[in-house]
Amino acid sequence: MIFALDFFLRRLSQGIVIVVLVALLIFTLLRVVPGDPVRIMLGPMTAPSVMEATAKKLGLRDPIPVQFGRYLLQVAHGDLGHSFIRSAQGGSTGGSRGGNTFDTENRAPVVELIRSTVPYSLLLAGLGVLFSLIIAVPIGLAAGLNSSRWPYRVALYLSAVLVSLPNVWLGVVFILIFSARTGWLPAIGYQGPSYAILPALVLAVELAPVMIRAISVSVAANLLENYVAVGQVRGLSRYRMITWHVLRNASIPLLNLLGVQIVGILLGSLFVVEYIFNYPGIGLLMINAVFQRDFPIIQAVAILACTVLVCINILVDFAATNIDRRLQY
Amino acid sequence: MASDLTIGAARPARKRSMGLGAGMLVQAWRTAEFKVGLVVFIGLMLISIFGPDLLGLSATRFDVAARFLPPMPLDGSRWPHLLGTDQLGRDLFVRSFIGLRNALVIGVTSVIGMFLVGSLVGMVAGYWSGWVSLVLMRLTDAQMSIPVIILAITILGVSRPTPASIILVLILAGWPAYARFARSATLSERRREYVKGAQILGAMDPRILFVHIAPNILPPIAFVAILDVARMMIFEAIFGFIGIGVQPPTPTFGTIIADGMKYLINAWWITTIPGLLLAISLCSINLMGGALERARNKRLQGVG
Amino acid sequence: MSTRKVVLEVKGLSVQLQREEGPAAQILSDVALTLAQDEVIGIIGESGSGKTVLSRALVNWVRAPLRVTSGSLLYRGRDLFRLPESEMQRLRGREIAYIGSDPGSALDPTLPVGNQIVEKLCAINPSLTKSEATAQALRVLDAVRIPSPKQRFHEFPFQFSGGMMQRAMIVDALVTNPAFLVADNITQPLDVTVAAQILRLLRELQRDFNTAIIFVSSALGVVNEIADSVLVLASGKVVEEQPVRSLVAAPEHDYTRQLIRDVPRIWSDGGASGPVSAEPAGERETVLSVRDVAKFYEVRDRRRLFGRRTVQAVRGVTFDAYKGENLGIVGESGCGKSTLSRLLSHLEAPDRGQILFKGQDIAHMSSKQILALRHRFQLLLQDPYNAIPPHLNIGRTIAEALLVHGGLRRKEIDERVRSTMAEVGLPAEIHDSLPVGLSAGQRQRVNIARAMVLDPELLILDETLSALDQVEQGKLLALFERLQVRRGITYVYITHDLSMVRRVCNRIAVMYLGRIVELATNEATFFNPSHPYTRALLSAVPVIEERPYKAETYLLEGEPPDPIDIPPGCTFRTRCPFAFDRCAAEDPILLRRGPADFAACHLGDEAAAREGRSLPRVFESTR
Repeated sequence: MIFALDFFLRRLSQGIVIVVLVALLIFTLLRVVPGDPVRIMLGPMTAPSVMEATAKKLGLRDPIPVQFGRYLLQVAHGDLGHSFIRSAQGGSTGGSRGGNTFDTENRAPVVELIRSTVPYSLLLAGLGVLFSLIIAVPIGLAAGLNSSRWPYRVALYLSAVLVSLPNVWLGVVFILIFSARTGWLPAIGYQGPSYAILPALVLAVELAPVMIRAISVSVAANLLENYVAVGQVRGLSRYRMITWHVLRNASIPLLNLLGVQIVGILLGSLFVVEYIFNYPGIGLLMINAVFQRDFPIIQAVAILACTVLVCINILVDFAATNIDRRLQY
Repeated sequence: MASDLTIGAARPARKRSMGLGAGMLVQAWRTAEFKVGLVVFIGLMLISIFGPDLLGLSATRFDVAARFLPPMPLDGSRWPHLLGTDQLGRDLFVRSFIGLRNALVIGVTSVIGMFLVGSLVGMVAGYWSGWVSLVLMRLTDAQMSIPVIILAITILGVSRPTPASIILVLILAGWPAYARFARSATLSERRREYVKGAQILGAMDPRILFVHIAPNILPPIAFVAILDVARMMIFEAIFGFIGIGVQPPTPTFGTIIADGMKYLINAWWITTIPGLLLAISLCSINLMGGALERARNKRLQGVG
Repeated sequence: MSTRKVVLEVKGLSVQLQREEGPAAQILSDVALTLAQDEVIGIIGESGSGKTVLSRALVNWVRAPLRVTSGSLLYRGRDLFRLPESEMQRLRGREIAYIGSDPGSALDPTLPVGNQIVEKLCAINPSLTKSEATAQALRVLDAVRIPSPKQRFHEFPFQFSGGMMQRAMIVDALVTNPAFLVADNITQPLDVTVAAQILRLLRELQRDFNTAIIFVSSALGVVNEIADSVLVLASGKVVEEQPVRSLVAAPEHDYTRQLIRDVPRIWSDGGASGPVSAEPAGERETVLSVRDVAKFYEVRDRRRLFGRRTVQAVRGVTFDAYKGENLGIVGESGCGKSTLSRLLSHLEAPDRGQILFKGQDIAHMSSKQILALRHRFQLLLQDPYNAIPPHLNIGRTIAEALLVHGGLRRKEIDERVRSTMAEVGLPAEIHDSLPVGLSAGQRQRVNIARAMVLDPELLILDETLSALDQVEQGKLLALFERLQVRRGITYVYITHDLSMVRRVCNRIAVMYLGRIVELATNEATFFNPSHPYTRALLSAVPVIEERPYKAETYLLEGEPPDPIDIPPGCTFRTRCPFAFDRCAAEDPILLRRGPADFAACHLGDEAAAREGRSLPRVFESTR
């Protein structure tokens, strides 16, 4: 009990520091790297004075620490700001007309934008992880339990092949084979859950080799442990040793894998895959936002991603200490 | 063994017959997959160096009459366009291999860069613990939370990206992982007996770090870095696809695939064949890197 | 031959090892033995004799790449080698038990120990309910004197000390009342007092449960304590088999004779095993003077939210080392020896006290100041395989010492390196090779050369010879003697090995829980120690000679207290067979009881008080 309290207090405080650090990094990066959002918002034809006025109104000319402080306060109240580009009705501005037509009062709240896209991304991510588990767990287990025979070699070569397939290329190939040529599965955009299948498959191909490797390494290493042999000499069956002891011990590093590494990979690949398939998830939102220098969305999604990662890290570590008590000491 | 009349428990001494780096290499060499990877890789290198000249092909010359030629041996293909041509009549074989070359340059350079930067930071953080180490580690934690793509688009998405800026972005994205490896390796190496021995002799810290610890921890990390070359090459392709990679007319896999998507239905080979070549070369690199990584793990566990 | 029932009969057992390249190696050839009920057979062999393989074969646990090529293993008439695996699995754990030499890794680290014992019970006897099995397990844990068994039941393997875990494994093995038990080197990783307890426990349980035991070991002294008859194993063959007393008295085979001759003697060798020369203490200069040195570490207190607890690793150590002498510091695990050696070699600074090297307090000097003194005193470490850097050649490694201190030209450095190499007996041609092919003995010589090249006056040897075999140890000890005669070096030996200190050291300090409890001359320590702990150590060391301290009188119970929760008064009193009330109240300090002998025990004081005098305290004078 005390341990849990101590653990969470320590880790949560560290986590907050990390999230704030990341926010600061992104914040500063956006404002330091060339590319003025106001220019994109109002169009390149607008008069410089109008641009300056809008920028001032949005607070973009204040020194960065001031802007950051203001932003943090805002976030603490639950307000993630409003998009620079997108308007509440769903369209986005950015044309070559004059400044008066830019409707600063009607910009979409970032929270809404995120809320409307996150479910799609969750569907995609969930499906991707599911597919990769279906592929990886049987192969990984077989390879780990039979580390000197053919399942291991199969897992080896399969992993090497899968990890060498660039997701951009694979996406195109899948579209070609499963959609354009045969019409089995839909590819671009979203008009129903089946649109998530192809992108999820691409994600699965990316995640599976990591899982296969981790599972087989962990299981194989644990099989070599002394207590496995000793247990059998003491009278327990090999089956019992594997199912009840080896798998449990092997799952400890796998927690870290599943939690942290997979989520880390997802956070990156999700964006790319959604872009390839034009899938309306948070990744597409983010990529477009970056191209359009839509600061509020970029900041919000980055902070969200980081928070998710930190939380999962903490949860996974805590679960690990419960399985292996040595970690508590 | 030592005298029977010991009153306490003597710790056994473990044998290490050769350094970790050399040992890894030897062990990996014994495996089939390493050799397969190496052979394929060298083969691809040779073809990329000599192939285009042997076939008399150019990467950028348009030949409108030879547009949309499918790869051999399909109907309509024509020698010497082994892999067909794209919408402007440019030969895909040459374009692919030049793309491979560019990708390799970017991949290798960025990995060397992130290895150097990351290892230095990691070794310093691992050797001198205290708040310096803490700050550095939190920094790497923070940076690892930012996906590479976002970082890349943010920095590269505004002006015309050059190979140098792409390499810089990749180094920026990749150094934290190396810092972590180097730090944990330094931490455990620091506890080894010979470091104690050197300290007892009176050696100062920087000396110990660079003369003793570095040669022991860096080779294993360097060898496994091969896997990252493949990863960086994939990133380079992704960047090209999104439009923030090396700009035309230099052929890169990303731009070739992105351009070719328009013709997917009728001339599918424009998009898929170059990617296939990339996949094969990556596969060979990954086979080698994977063998090295497994060899390292085996050595660390004391088996084999 | 006795008329007891034969439990196990081995005939013509041969085992081979299949190697990757080349022919198979013969590990065991034609081994035979007969084990009767109630009998304890010892199997003695050096490393490489095949005894571990034999112990596995006796429970039919031979796995690839090892292979049984011939022989039969008759258990109650049935040949185990011909039994189907399912039958064999039924016998394992239930009627045939095995305990290995690595207690720490014998159980799943993620489950409580009690649960795993229950698991075994339920697997062996499916009709047992969980609560019945739990009750039985608790009963047996109590029977082997594991303190607070109910609490221990729910604890995890890493929370058990080596000795306690070995007790738990014995429980686990005997709880099903097997017909025979194979114990493979079970006391080797344990401290000697703990090992003695385990052996005694095993003997008691064997009597209670009527189990036959095969006890495999590399130490003749241990086998002497526990076995009825002994088999001597050499290179996979049984060379002799006799009841243990007659074996020691009248060995028949040459190998056995050699073995017995090589066992170092403590008490029966008389003056031959004493150290070279011991001048009277009063006339010599003090090279090293340690005054009330203490070192504490802070660890996180798991019971409170942000609390910290202190581990008192060293709690006030005081001694002197004189020029030209050999001082030995001995103690079991947890006594603070390793912390002390780190303090002495200036790897860490003490929290209290002074360390005076020739009058200068080095305890609190900065690294720069120390550098100048460094070459005058050096430390040699234990692990020959890891103490020298693997990536530099020999010459460079030895030269490192000179390079660090600077001031010499290349040529001079080279000359010094080569002459030092010759002095310590390293062949000149390895100067440019990597340490890769060197043996343990040669590596330690490189270590020694590295220290010697600085021309030190004081050398601290922290378990330096522990990893070497008997022969190598002898050679290196002779080298140390030569160097001492030629250069007048003072040695401080920090070790576990009582026979080595008996042979080499003029004076010996015994440490317990961070303090020196006895500091006396060689003769006094071994023949007239006054502290009960020293006597307990001497009574627990397994020997084949007649020993002056009987185990029954002096054997300790339990484990040393945690260095975190040190009890008040004398820390040894919780285990001391002679503790009286003063011991609980007052913490004894070193008292002089002879011209050069000191002990921290109230017993000495009481004895002196009865004679009408009091013993001087150590701070008054140490000469």
